[in-house]
Amino acid sequence: MTVTRGRPLRGEPEELDIRLRADASSRRPVLLAFGSAIVWLLIGSAFGDVASLKMHLPDWANDAAWLTFGRIRPAHLNTMIYGWASLAMLGVSLWMIPRLVHTELRFGRLAEVGIVLWNIGLVLGIAGLLSGRSDGLEWLEMRRTFADPWFVVGGALVGLTLLVTLMLREVGHLYVSVWYIMASYLWFPVIFIVGNWPTWRGVESAATNWFYAHNALGLWLTAINLGAAYYFIPKVLGRPIHSYQLSLLGFWALAFFYALNGMHHLIGGPVPEWMITTSIVASVLMVIPVLAVAVNHHMTMIGRFGALRYSPTLRFVVLGAIAYTAVSLQGMLTALREVNRITHFTQWTIAHSHVGVYAFVTFVLFGSMYYIMPRLVRREWPSARLIRWHFWLVLSGIAIYVISLTIVGVMQGLALLDPQTPFRRAVEVTIPGLWVRSFAGLLLTAGHLVFATHYWMMTRGTRRAPESPPFHEVRPILYAPAGEIVEEVAR
Amino acid sequence: MFPSSLVVVLTGLGFGLLALAAFAWGWRRGQYRDLSAQARVIFDARDMRLDRPWETAQQRAERAREFGALEPAPPGEWGEGRSSDEGSAR
Repeated sequence: MTVTRGRPLRGEPEELDIRLRADASSRRPVLLAFGSAIVWLLIGSAFGDVASLKMHLPDWANDAAWLTFGRIRPAHLNTMIYGWASLAMLGVSLWMIPRLVHTELRFGRLAEVGIVLWNIGLVLGIAGLLSGRSDGLEWLEMRRTFADPWFVVGGALVGLTLLVTLMLREVGHLYVSVWYIMASYLWFPVIFIVGNWPTWRGVESAATNWFYAHNALGLWLTAINLGAAYYFIPKVLGRPIHSYQLSLLGFWALAFFYALNGMHHLIGGPVPEWMITTSIVASVLMVIPVLAVAVNHHMTMIGRFGALRYSPTLRFVVLGAIAYTAVSLQGMLTALREVNRITHFTQWTIAHSHVGVYAFVTFVLFGSMYYIMPRLVRREWPSARLIRWHFWLVLSGIAIYVISLTIVGVMQGLALLDPQTPFRRAVEVTIPGLWVRSFAGLLLTAGHLVFATHYWMMTRGTRRAPESPPFHEVRPILYAPAGEIVEEVAR
Repeated sequence: MFPSSLVVVLTGLGFGLLALAAFAWGWRRGQYRDLSAQARVIFDARDMRLDRPWETAQQRAERAREFGALEPAPPGEWGEGRSSDEGSAR
């Protein structure tokens, strides 16, 4: 079929060819990462639902040791952070970097090996947790002896692939997303090794534990997903980011200020006061990168919010970016001693962490996958209806989740501070919110099942082929003998 | 001061120094010159010429004036799913 074109622009065929070659080069490792991430998403959802039900039905399903709360809860956390989020992020990075540096992914097979090793580490680590083998450190529960080395080697192989691709780039300029993504691959191994170092004891261990856990959020999960948001929002809108200067300011402020944030988790703990105060100051300084990102994204979107009705990618990514602003501002407030004395050791913290890891990170990852997958498997998503179901289930689920736990968290904190209130009462006030949280968790799981089903339909191609040629089959432009562009041919 | 304080502080400072080195490298390599042009490196010509149904008539006219006649976006361009069986555009 021949399609008449508008005014041809110089260099267009080469641009299209670069993009097609970049996508083709990353196809296998990205599909491997996405596929395994979704399997872990389903497993982690089941763990989360069981753990949530046990908070208000403590005697339920306690016959088997592996189903007890102390094992299921860390299994949920580790599955979601290292299984779902991290693997999906490996996939997004492997797709974005070749595109952004205008070259093919180098040593793609090495990245595939890295993803397989990462999955082996997860299987061993989660099986270890369920069988009672834990390092006992939050976010670092998987054993450093038989699970963690797989992550180090696997992550290093993926990082090496990206680094070689970056070094062989065909562009001089590095877009801000490249800074975010590549920096996260340099930061993560350092914090992971420091956090897992086996010689820390007692309070030392708590300090390095929170140094790791907070930086895993800020320098790993946040960095890659902000990089994705800086790519997908302007890309779908066809409009450059409002202020590129501001985007760079945001990146460098994150790079300089974030690393000292973690100690605010130990407010009131037996650690030197100067460490806590330094961390609170660093946490408040985060207002610079957060507002830089928030203002930039909002000003880019302004006048084009109608696009959210058309693009699932934009819908998820923009809501994720809004959640990033919300969770960061909430985190800054929570780092203040006056707020922390109420919220510490309450359900508020659980709500806060889910705004970060779910409403921000997971939403951006869903949005990214909606954009990337059609370009890898060369067909559209099979059903607009399933996308709508997915979106509304997870949006309503996370909204109910966060609102209910935030409210009962504050009630719990105030009850704990009141010496006249018995401790039992501080637990009882949370129970209605915990029931609502379990319902919200089931909504989230239903949304994940819809997404997984849709993903499977997408990769298996179970729907009929479209009548009109899809966008990914549009062929490059033909040249007249003199080199003049004359027409575009669609297969 | 227990030993891990030193490790945390040194690692934090190490991150800061690494960031400073990377910033200096970027400065020397011209990563901060002509920023408005660099903000456009993620686009190719076709991206900018696709007709976006959510844009106003004025926004479309501006796009056409700057990038040439607009082309209809192929199905699935924005991550959306097939909707022919639902009689809906999205």
